Amino acid sequence: MKEKLKKINEFEWLLPKGVRERMKVDAKIIANKKLIDAVEDAAVQQLTNVATLPGVVEPVIGLPDMHWGYGLPMGAVGAFDAEDGIISAGLCGFDINCGINLIRTNLTADEIRTKIRELVPSLFDAVPCGVGSKGTLKLSPPELDEVLKRGLDWAVEKGYITEEDQKATEENGKMSGADPSKVSDLAKKRGGPQLGTLGAGNHFLEIQEVSHILDKDAVKKWGIKEPGQAMIMIHCGSRGLGHQVATDYLKIQEQAVRKYNIWLPDRQLVCSPVKSKEGQDFFAAMKAAVNYSFTNRAVMTKWIREVFEKIFGKSWEEMDMKTVYAIAHNIVKLEEHKVNGEKKKLYVHRKGATRSFPNLPVIIAGSMGTSSYLLKGTETAMEKSFGSSAHGAGRSMSRHAAIKRFWGGKVKEDLLKKGIVSQATHPKSLAEEAPEAYKDVEAVVDSVHGAGISTKVARMVPLGVVKG
Amino acid sequence: MKKYKFIEDLTSDVMFEAYGKDLKEVFENAAEALFTVICQTKKVKHNITKDIVIEAEDVRELMINWLQELIARVDIEHLFFSKTEIQEISETKLNAKVYGDKAKPELGETVVKAVTYYEFKFEKTDKGYVARVSLDI
Repeated sequence: MKEKLKKINEFEWLLPKGVRERMKVDAKIIANKKLIDAVEDAAVQQLTNVATLPGVVEPVIGLPDMHWGYGLPMGAVGAFDAEDGIISAGLCGFDINCGINLIRTNLTADEIRTKIRELVPSLFDAVPCGVGSKGTLKLSPPELDEVLKRGLDWAVEKGYITEEDQKATEENGKMSGADPSKVSDLAKKRGGPQLGTLGAGNHFLEIQEVSHILDKDAVKKWGIKEPGQAMIMIHCGSRGLGHQVATDYLKIQEQAVRKYNIWLPDRQLVCSPVKSKEGQDFFAAMKAAVNYSFTNRAVMTKWIREVFEKIFGKSWEEMDMKTVYAIAHNIVKLEEHKVNGEKKKLYVHRKGATRSFPNLPVIIAGSMGTSSYLLKGTETAMEKSFGSSAHGAGRSMSRHAAIKRFWGGKVKEDLLKKGIVSQATHPKSLAEEAPEAYKDVEAVVDSVHGAGISTKVARMVPLGVVKG
Repeated sequence: MKKYKFIEDLTSDVMFEAYGKDLKEVFENAAEALFTVICQTKKVKHNITKDIVIEAEDVRELMINWLQELIARVDIEHLFFSKTEIQEISETKLNAKVYGDKAKPELGETVVKAVTYYEFKFEKTDKGYVARVSLDI
C-alpha cells in the first residue's frame, strides 16, 4: 500500500480514495520522508480500512508517530458524521484517556540534581507502579461512581488538586454525559483498587529540565520562564477500568455490526451507528473512563507534590508546582469542525493523537531518555487534522523484540551516563522501553511543526525516570 | 509437543500460539503463555487456588473469555497466576482451578490490557488443537 502514497509536500502524503475498493474518502499521512520510509505497510493499510466506514469524513489522518495498532494505527484520527456516522470502541484504543499531565516547578535542574538520588526512589515509593500494584485509596462503589461521573470535580472537592489544575485540563477533566451505569461491574472491580496507580508498559513519571524555549510568548502564558527550569511529566491512563470498558464494548459492538448490517474490511473495526443505543452507551461509558483517568493523574499529582515538599522543605505552592496542562490521547469527542466550508458536528476518534486547538497546549512525550515537547495548537490543525496532533515518539520495535535485544541493566547504565537516574520495578521494564525501540521524537515533532498542525513551544529533557 | 510459542513481533502487541493434544491441554497452555507475559511465573508460588467457571457460545469464544477472565482476575483479586488445571471442558463450558500468589510488582512483567481478535485462530489439526492469540499490552 505504501507505494501508492502521493507526496503533497515535504510533510504531507496522500492516499487517494481509489487506492482500494470501497474507500469513501482520502487518507492522509503527516510525516517527513524518514518517518514515511519507516512506517509499516500494514499501518498504512489500516488507514484505508477506516476510510471505508459509514459516515467517515475526509480525510482519515495518519500522524508522524503512527504505528500498527488494533484496527486503527496508534497515531491516527478518524472523524465521523454525527448524523449518519459510526462510533467505535476499536478506534479509541484499549487504554481510554491514556494521556499526559505536565507540571511546572520553579526549581532549577541543578537543585533537582543535588537531590535526584533521593527524589527518584521517593517518587517510586509514593506512586504505586508496575503490574500487580495496588493503590492506597479505598473507594466505596458509590464513591467510584462519583469519580466516573464527575472526574476532576471530585478530585478538587477531595483536595487532590486545585480548581486551577482542573482548568488546565482538557474538558476540565470532566466529560459531561459520563454514565457509570454503562460501565460494567467487572470494569469497576478492576479499576476500583487502581485509582492513583501508574501501571506499567510505556507509562512513566519523569522529572525533566527545559532545554530550549522555542516560543517566548507561549511559555510566558504557561509559567515557563527559562531553560534549566525543572518540570514533571506523568504519562498513564485509565488502568483496568478503561481496558475492561474497551473489551466490553468491543463485544457489544461486534453484535451491533451484525444487527445494523455494517460492512467491515477488518473485524477489529467494530462500531455502531452514532445514534444507536450501542453507540451512545459506549460513548457514555468511555466518558466515565476518561473521567477516571484524569482523576487517576490528579491523585498522583498530589502525591508527587508531597514528595517534593518533603525533599525540598517547601510547600508545593512555593515551588510553583502547577499543572501546565493535562491532555488525553485515546479518546472520542463530539466536536464541531468545518467540512467543505460548513460547520458540522463530528465524532472525532483520536487514537494515539492529541487535541490541537488554536493556542491550547499540545504535549508530545519522547521515549525514555530522549526529549519531550510542549507545543501549541493551531488553526492549521483545524483545517488539516480535525484539530489533532501527534502524541509521542511511537514504537518502532515491539516490546518483546526490545526485551530480546536490550538488557535492562545496560539501559539503566546508559541513561545514567546521560545524567538520567531511573528506577523501575524490574530491569525488563527498562529494556522494553529502551529509547532505541522508538521512533525519533525529533522527527515526529519536526513533522507536526512542519505541517503546521502544532508549533514548538519548549523542549524538555529527562533528569529522572520512574517506571512500572 | 511444544506447549506454546511466541510467533510474531507486533509493535504494540504480543502474539502467541498455544498447542494441545486435546481441549484441556490447549486451554491450559494458552493460560500459561498469558501468565508468562504478565509475571515471572517461575517465581510465583501456588499458595492461592481459585475456581473459575467460563461459559460461551462456541469454543472460540470460550478461549477468548477464558483468557479475558484471567486478565481481569489479576486486577480484581490482585493475584499472579502460574498454573492452571482444567477440571472439565466442553466446547461451551469449562471448570478450572488456577494457582498463584499475591501479586508483587517486582515479580511482574507487564500489564496485559486485553485479548484482541487480531488474527485470532482456533483450529483442530491432526495433532490436536492450535490457538493463536494476540494480546494488547
